[in-house]
Amino acid sequence: MKVLITGASGFLGQAVVRAAAAAGFEVLALVRPTADVSRLAWPDNVEVLRGDLRQKGEWKSRINVDCVVHLAAAPSGDLATQFAGTVLATENLLEHLALKSLRRFVHISSFSVYDYSTRPNKGVLDEAAALEPKPEARDAYTITKMIQERLVVDTCDGAGVDCVIIRPGAIYGPGKDWGFGKAAEFRKCDLIFAPGAIFRLTYVDNCADAIVKAINSPISSARIFNIVDDDLPSTWAFHKACRRAGAPAGRAIPVPWLIVSGLGRIVRLLNRAAFRNRAKLPELLEFKRQQARWRPMRYSNKLAKTVLGWSPAIGFEEGIARTFGQKGSADGA
Amino acid sequence: MGEPSKPLRAAVIGCGGIANEHLPFLAKSPLIELVGVCDTSRVTAMFAQQRFEVQGWFLNAEEMLAATRPDVVHVLTPPQSHRPLVSLCLNAGAHVVCEKPMTASASETAELLALARQQGKWLVESRNLLFNDIVLKIDRLLDDGTLGEVREIDLLLSLDLNAGPFGDLNLEGPGVQLPGGAVHDFLPHLAYLFLHFAGEAKLDNRVHGVLENRSGNSRVGYDHLDALVMAGSCRGRLRIASDLKPDMFRLVVRGTRAVAESDFYNPFLRIQRAVDSGKMAPFEQIRSGMSLARAGIGSLRDKVLQHGTYHGLPRMLEAIYQALRDGQDSPIAATDIAATAALVDRLIGLRSAQ
Repeated sequence: MKVLITGASGFLGQAVVRAAAAAGFEVLALVRPTADVSRLAWPDNVEVLRGDLRQKGEWKSRINVDCVVHLAAAPSGDLATQFAGTVLATENLLEHLALKSLRRFVHISSFSVYDYSTRPNKGVLDEAAALEPKPEARDAYTITKMIQERLVVDTCDGAGVDCVIIRPGAIYGPGKDWGFGKAAEFRKCDLIFAPGAIFRLTYVDNCADAIVKAINSPISSARIFNIVDDDLPSTWAFHKACRRAGAPAGRAIPVPWLIVSGLGRIVRLLNRAAFRNRAKLPELLEFKRQQARWRPMRYSNKLAKTVLGWSPAIGFEEGIARTFGQKGSADGA
Repeated sequence: MGEPSKPLRAAVIGCGGIANEHLPFLAKSPLIELVGVCDTSRVTAMFAQQRFEVQGWFLNAEEMLAATRPDVVHVLTPPQSHRPLVSLCLNAGAHVVCEKPMTASASETAELLALARQQGKWLVESRNLLFNDIVLKIDRLLDDGTLGEVREIDLLLSLDLNAGPFGDLNLEGPGVQLPGGAVHDFLPHLAYLFLHFAGEAKLDNRVHGVLENRSGNSRVGYDHLDALVMAGSCRGRLRIASDLKPDMFRLVVRGTRAVAESDFYNPFLRIQRAVDSGKMAPFEQIRSGMSLARAGIGSLRDKVLQHGTYHGLPRMLEAIYQALRDGQDSPIAATDIAATAALVDRLIGLRSAQ
């Protein structure tokens, strides 16, 4: 089975390529023309295809595959930049895929599509949770990831293609440590917002494993899967573990969610009253974005485990050790 | 009292980055009924239509013109596509507001202006910076005689053109499909600002300097301009540099009585008068320091309230639509557009062989 993996040289993409190749798939890894893949030491069943999905280049004639794992996106920059790298890139890809012969499209979405302003059923955010009703009030990433996901679902449904949506939590691993969970730093102190809230983490190789399982697992009626690990720490515990593993983290100062959200509510009121909601504020002060990042919730990975047969192999302590090099890097080097 | 005028029917071709600056004004202005948006990307056109509650979205400009019959069309596509699209809209009987640079050369601009004249329609090339706070403030200093007669205009745009999409080597082809490469995209700003403060004086063919590629980035085309321009009694230094930090768009207008200095990216206004020299210089420095501190607070407020570099654009559009509605002359005259294109041509003429 030939699988196209877009965004293959990215942080998650590299791990997905390794896992897909190890699972015996014939991998076509789409990387940007300037990407350096020589250091990645991919095995022989990985073919590298160079191209940029933002443009309709030569890549479009070489993507005759059985399955697509679509990771490519632009997670930063202004709205125009993220729109081009996430939405236009996806539109171009879908336009040139031979959808009729495609067995499955595995799309990598994000937890950012969920609505964090309402409390989910029993306080557990799972695949049935409501989606963000006003993405434009949050940020460009939410706007573009929501449009991208809708575009994929509509196109696949229209063409009768089997479509799986993977929504990973915060992916960590060597090279990506989420600032050890700090919201801000001041001199040698790290401010930890909502220290008791669960940090919805997934170790990069665990997430890659779930994605590879989604390539050919029978999925019946389920199509959306949240990916978080089993032993999720609190933000406070994450910071402590990072520090213990040798990360250059500062002294942790806890700021309870009540204080964070209280400040956010006051700022929101002031913004409404004084600026008719025109003020654009940093994430630390904007209530809607505070909720998306720090509001205490619980998370479920039950569906991915039961339907995809996935189980996160790397526990939290092991993941932290790998992230900070105590037991070598994730690729075993 | 007479009947209120009917709103003008507006449509947009090209819903990319700069459309995000035009559409918010078009969507909320009582002068305008936003009838259509068009883009070659379906998802882009649909997103703009939903976000700004436009009546319809289209993938083809001709179809949109036929279906919506707009009074005004905004052409906001990449520069190389402007010429055919502007012609199409003018021939369909619409006024056109076109983003800069409108064309690749002064002769192409002249052709389009002639077509507009022939059709009895307006063709306006965007000059949003002329409507920015700092330009309006310096205009007042000129009007009230504070600056005296303008003698020198310095413009420095310091921005790494290689860092953005213009120089992104992942993409194929030139970043900007114009003879002056990435620099060309910004030249109209420099040219119209110079001509505005120089009093639209006729150029006397003295343009010196260099237009070159200093980075070696093949996609960016040209990334460095350093030009001296003479216009009657005015001298100008027009610069675009990709290798300086921090990013700035500095403007200095020097007159026979005073100097005004500002920056489009982080606005402030420093005025040094003839009397602010010798023993009085320290007092001017203290006054300027306090003014700079106030400007800092103002810049912070601007950032929070998203009063960015494009804040002149809605003012420009408001002026255009009001003039159209009231049957007045365009606030941006065809002669000014032609003069800007002619100066841009001369600056492009400085380019080194690549």
